[in-house]
Amino acid sequence: MNDYRWNDLATGMAAQFEVELSAEMMSGFATISGDVNPLHADEEFAKAAGFPSRVAFGLLTTSFYSRLVGVYLPGKRALLHGIDVEFRLPAYIGDRLSVSGEVVFLNEAYRRLELKARIRNQAGNVISKASIQAGLRES
Amino acid sequence: MDNALIIRDLEPIFADILDQSDLRLAPESSASNVEGWDSLAHINLIVAIEKRYRIKFALGELQDLKNLGEMVILIQRKTRS
Repeated sequence: MNDYRWNDLATGMAAQFEVELSAEMMSGFATISGDVNPLHADEEFAKAAGFPSRVAFGLLTTSFYSRLVGVYLPGKRALLHGIDVEFRLPAYIGDRLSVSGEVVFLNEAYRRLELKARIRNQAGNVISKASIQAGLRES
Repeated sequence: MDNALIIRDLEPIFADILDQSDLRLAPESSASNVEGWDSLAHINLIVAIEKRYRIKFALGELQDLKNLGEMVILIQRKTRS
């Protein structure tokens, strides 16, 4: 886990990690959220709706932005203030996702950073983009 | 830009962040008399003002501000320098 301090941060700093979407993640998110929509839970229903397989929960993939901030940039001292996210493409079980973010703005007075972030699938296509606001705690 | 013009300029920014489409601001406006102006909204407002006017605030400059009128004076000073 990274542990960046305020003076370590600069615009242009970036972080990236990869994660594979699993069936276990899907079932775990369904349990937590209570979202039992068959588009996420029923393979045949999803196919009948025109998708190749069950569609991953958008907020499941968005949760990787939480990891980006809380583990990578800035890491340990982060406190998430907000995420503005836009979904571009569906994601599916087995997709290999690349999650990346770059510091685009730093507010010195309140030690707030803003990240421009993206999640791409294994084909390099953007499945979502986000603007993330996070505070940096002193301790 | 004079004080009144800056306040008019800030209104849509505040309206968006505070989620009040009909918000009207005055020099006396402050966190104590504007609905939704809490601590997190305050950070969002300061960040938005920094971006709008391409200025940077130090925490010490913000801590003693009593209302929007004082904020506008600070914005004027920073945009002149």
